[in-house]
Order: sequence, then C-alpha cells, then structure tokens
Amino acid sequence: MRNESSSPVFTGASKYVLDEELAKIVNISIALEMPLLLKGEPGTGKTMLAHAIAESLNMELIVLNVKSSLKLVEALYQYDTLTRLNDSRFGDSQRDVSNIEEYIRMGKIGRSFAADNRVVLLIDEIDKADTDFQDDMLDVLDQMAFDIIEIDKTITTKHRPVIIITSNAKKDLSDPFLGRCNFHHIAFPDPDMMRMIINVHFPDLDNELLDMSVKTFYKLRDFQGIEKKPATRELINWVRALRADPDFRLKDLVQAKIPYLGILFKKSSDYQLAVQQSRRLR
Amino acid sequence: MFVDFFYILRESGIPVAPTSFLRLHKALALGLVNGLTDFYTAARTILVKSERYFDIYDRVFAHFFQGAELPDFKGVDLDIAAKALLDEWLKRPEELADALGLPKDKIKSMTPDELLKYFLDRLKEQTEAHHGGGRWIGTGGTSPVGHSGYHPGGMRVGGRSMSKSAIKVALDRRYKDYSLDAPLTQAQMGEALKRLRRMVPVGPKDQVNVDETIRATTKNAGEIEIVFERSLRDRLKVILMIDNGGWSMDPYIDLVQTLFNYARAQFKDVKIFYFHNTIYDFVWEDPPRRYKPQRVQDLATWDRQSRLVIIGDASMAPYELMATDGSIHIEERSGLPSIDRLNLLAQTFPHNAWLNPTPLRLWPLTRTIGAISTIFPMFELTLDGLDSAVTHMMSKN
Repeated sequence: MRNESSSPVFTGASKYVLDEELAKIVNISIALEMPLLLKGEPGTGKTMLAHAIAESLNMELIVLNVKSSLKLVEALYQYDTLTRLNDSRFGDSQRDVSNIEEYIRMGKIGRSFAADNRVVLLIDEIDKADTDFQDDMLDVLDQMAFDIIEIDKTITTKHRPVIIITSNAKKDLSDPFLGRCNFHHIAFPDPDMMRMIINVHFPDLDNELLDMSVKTFYKLRDFQGIEKKPATRELINWVRALRADPDFRLKDLVQAKIPYLGILFKKSSDYQLAVQQSRRLR
Repeated sequence: MFVDFFYILRESGIPVAPTSFLRLHKALALGLVNGLTDFYTAARTILVKSERYFDIYDRVFAHFFQGAELPDFKGVDLDIAAKALLDEWLKRPEELADALGLPKDKIKSMTPDELLKYFLDRLKEQTEAHHGGGRWIGTGGTSPVGHSGYHPGGMRVGGRSMSKSAIKVALDRRYKDYSLDAPLTQAQMGEALKRLRRMVPVGPKDQVNVDETIRATTKNAGEIEIVFERSLRDRLKVILMIDNGGWSMDPYIDLVQTLFNYARAQFKDVKIFYFHNTIYDFVWEDPPRRYKPQRVQDLATWDRQSRLVIIGDASMAPYELMATDGSIHIEERSGLPSIDRLNLLAQTFPHNAWLNPTPLRLWPLTRTIGAISTIFPMFELTLDGLDSAVTHMMSKN
C-alpha cells in the first residue's frame, strides 16, 4: 500500500519506558507530519517523551519553554537592533551594518524550521501562553513557513520538524488549534508500568524494595484530600533517598513507617494530611 | 461503513471535524494502520481532541465494531456533519480545498450542495477501496512505522500490552473518570478547582487614574494620554450549604469541602453550613448539625454580593418542602414551610446556584427537584455543571 517507507520509526529510548499505544500514536504523527499534542497529569512523562524521541531517532531536540508573556515573533526570530546601533556607532565588529540579515537571530521555532536536518521541536506547556500565541501559531503550523518582515524573506522548513506540544490543561486550547494537532492524553502509569519505570532508573534495585516502594507509593496516592499528588518524579527521588539512607530497613515500609514523606508531598497542607493518614496505615 | 462511524461519533457528541476525518483516511491510505488495534489508536489520536471525549469514543468504538450496548444518544441527525463541513468551508476555504484535494478556485465555484456531494462521494470511494480482502482496513502492506515494540538495541517497551483486542481495550473504559458527564471524582479535583478559579470579580477598565494621566501626558510632551485602570473590586464571599443528611450525599461531601477549602485562598471568605434534606429555620456550622446553629433569617443582614452555593440532591418527600411543619426537628416549628425559606435565601443572595449530584436524566422523576429548581438554578455536580454554575454566578453582575 505504501511504496516508500522513509518515515523514521520511534521505538523507545534508554531511560524512557514506552507504552505501546503511545508508540503508535507518535509514529502516526511523524508519518502524517502532524504536531502531536500531549495532555496529562504532571509527572506522566510528556516532556520526557520528546527527549526520548530525539534520542531514539538521533535528531536534535529544540525546546521552546512557553512563558505567559511569550509572543510568537520571539519564538520565530529577533531583530537585534541594539547590536546594530552599537555597530553603526563604533563600527568595530565584523558585521556589515547595512545588511540587516546579520542582525536577525532565530528563535527556537525559527531554528527548527531552518535546520538542515529534521529536528524534534518540543513546545512545552503551551497552555501557559495567552490565546493570541496559539492563534498566531496556527498559520505557522499550517504553512510550515513564516516571514521575516525586516528583510522581507520567507523561511520555509527544509524538513518538517517532529513537533511535540505539551499542555497541562490550565486553559482550554482553541478548537482551530486542536484541529491541526493529533491528540493524546497520557494517563498516570499503572503499578506494573511504574515498576518498569523505576527499574529503568535503578536497574540494580532489589525486587522486594521495588515492589514495596511502588505499592506504598500507590497507597499514598490514594490519600484523601491531597491537592498535589506525588508523581513519577517524586517516586524516583524518594527511592533514591531510601537507597541513600543507611538506616533504612525494608521492614519499615512493610510496617508502614514511611520515611521522607516530604519528598513525596510538597505542600505543607498535603504533608500534614499525609502524615496523619499514614499513621492509619499501620 | 466508515461514513457511519464518522456520523455515530458526531451524533454521540464528539466534535469530529470533517478535515480530521479525511486525515484519518490519509493515514489509512498511507498504510499506517494495520488491523483494528491500530485503527483504534489512530482514529482516536486523529479524531478526538480531548480526553473528555475518550470515554464516549471507547463506547462508540466498542458498539460499532462489536455491537456492545450503546447508550441512548439523542435522535439521529445526519445533517450535523454536513453542516460542520459547510461551516468549515465558509471559515477556511483553502484548508478544505487542500483536504479534499481540489483547487481553491474550483471549490469557490461550487455550490454548497455540490460540495457536500463531493465530500460524501470521496468518503464512499475510500470505503470501497478498502473493502478489498474482506477487511476494510488495509490488509497487506508493510507499515513503515513500528507497531508493538521490538528493538534490537535493548530498548524497553512496557505497560499495557495490546494483546487484548482493541474492542476489549475500548470496553475497559479507561477514560471514564475523565468523561464530562460522570459525577465529580477525586481525580478531577484539579480540573474542578480550575473551574472555581474563574470566580474572580473583574471590573471594566473604566476609572481614570489622574496621577498617571498627568505623568503620561507630560512624558508625551503635552499630547494628552489618558490612563485608565480597573475599578477596585473586593474578592468574593462564598456561602456553601451542604446537605449532609442522607446517604446519597455521602460520596460528595468530602469532595466538595476539599474543593472549596483549596479554593479558599482566592475568596475573601468561605462559610460552610450543613442541613438535612432542605432548609428550615436553621443551618449548622458543624457537620453533626447540633452545636452551632445559624438562624437563616439572620443571613439577611449578610453581604448580598456573596455567592450562595447549595449542594444537595433535593430529593425528599414533598411535604418536607411544602408543609408548614415539615421539619423533623421540634425547635424549627416557626410556621414557615421550607420552600419559603429557600425563596428568602434566593432573594437575599441573588447570585446563587444549586449543585445536584443526581444525574440530570433522573431529575424529572423527583417532584421536589422540579420545585427547587424553579427557585435556584440547578446544575449537575459534574465538571460541565460546575462550569455552567460558575458562569451563571459570575454573569449576573
């Protein structure tokens, strides 16, 4: 059905445990050359996925961290007027002052478009920016090109970058924007998956500790009234702390004496609730 | 067969754009989809743009490909897709032309009817093309993309194995918690909180800041520059009344309290009161409804701008609401039926809402729900309901 199979195939990376379903979604998005929008709880590995893709397909990763005040133009390119003014006053640089192009600096999106090889472009937490940013981006994503007004030049992609967009759903994204993306929601990993993730990070961890810490972790996540539940990142740090502590004994966990709750619960009200409720586990 | 799938998705309330549907066909044509499992994943990632619809998608998918029971969706409306197509056409002719593979000029010269016909023909063509070897998804063809993980370099594929059939995966309904119409759960706490965060008063920028105006004007070399700023508004006060009487409310009490407690910081004040079934002379500040009574008529002296949120199933025997001595508590025999008390509350606090954990479809079965919803605008205790309730309470400024 398909005559040429030029699309690269994403299969996983060294520190990333890939869900089979997600692998398919990534590959379809790469093949269709569509941006992939990822939503999900913090700690489900949305950002990590982009790193993993870049590592596995051996592409450069360009990360655009979206801030609330970010304007699209800044992500595309910047016209460095100050340097030009400075150069024209003092004239001690190699640059040609009459050539504006030498004062255009590419932003993250601009770089990913102008790159000679196909790159992975991660637009992280797009929901932080205001809706203008998303609206402005529609055209750029559609055309895969943008204009530099100052020098009247159009930058077109040489290779459409693999675009991964993440959102924490702080704001709803607009419908036209969604229409141009593929969508996936990463659910929180189940205990089996979590065991594998921990295993990737601590290959020499003994099985009992692994089982017990994952089990305890999911019990802790079930506590009532917690605002910020511990996520994968917290679990990894917690396991690291447990291993580093020479006084830690596995039977503490079995008896539900849970050390270092502060690593898992980072809001003081959450921490207090967790301390109270962990006593009940005993 | 495919066209039906598209229509059923739309009828079930998932906003599937025709362009997305054509994109799915492109994926099929490229041979990216091998088998039903792939199709399940591909169709979802391309067609469905929010996890809120994943649950509906699962149900529709299971129904369509195996005939699992489909919940009763609203009447069949085949025009919806057509209308959406036309809307899209009007908004972005270039994009549609691109998707249909027609030159832009040609699409401009087409009448809506012609365009619609072309679209449907296009879909039929696709269906036939894939009907081939008894399967409508490309059967032969090697996919250029990796399906199921295998990597010689020792890479790891983990997690949920797809050895289950796609239909079984769909029947698992993994995304039920994210569904919009399911009652609020702990998992949705964060989302719900965001809904509440919208309860902030915003005044228009209508006050002239004289000092700033003078400064800006002098800076502007005498050219007048007027600086406006937002008129000051105080943060909102919220009065929360919770029915903690019957067992039917039990699963929600904790949830709602936690919700408002976390939101507390953004309000000036959150007062929580409790009642049983409906409100008579008193509400209570303590959950056992014994120690700290608050006379309802005294609330009349409180700030009228407070937002009153009542949470309860509003289900009781009609006399409890209508009779002058409906209360089961002897001290509450002041002669006013509860319905008058509720009316009084609604007048005292014009910004109000009643959240009801009972599913909307069951409301007509209970008379008292009907009676109370004439006094307080009633919303389901779901994300959607919370959304509308917040909008409602903020709109009557």
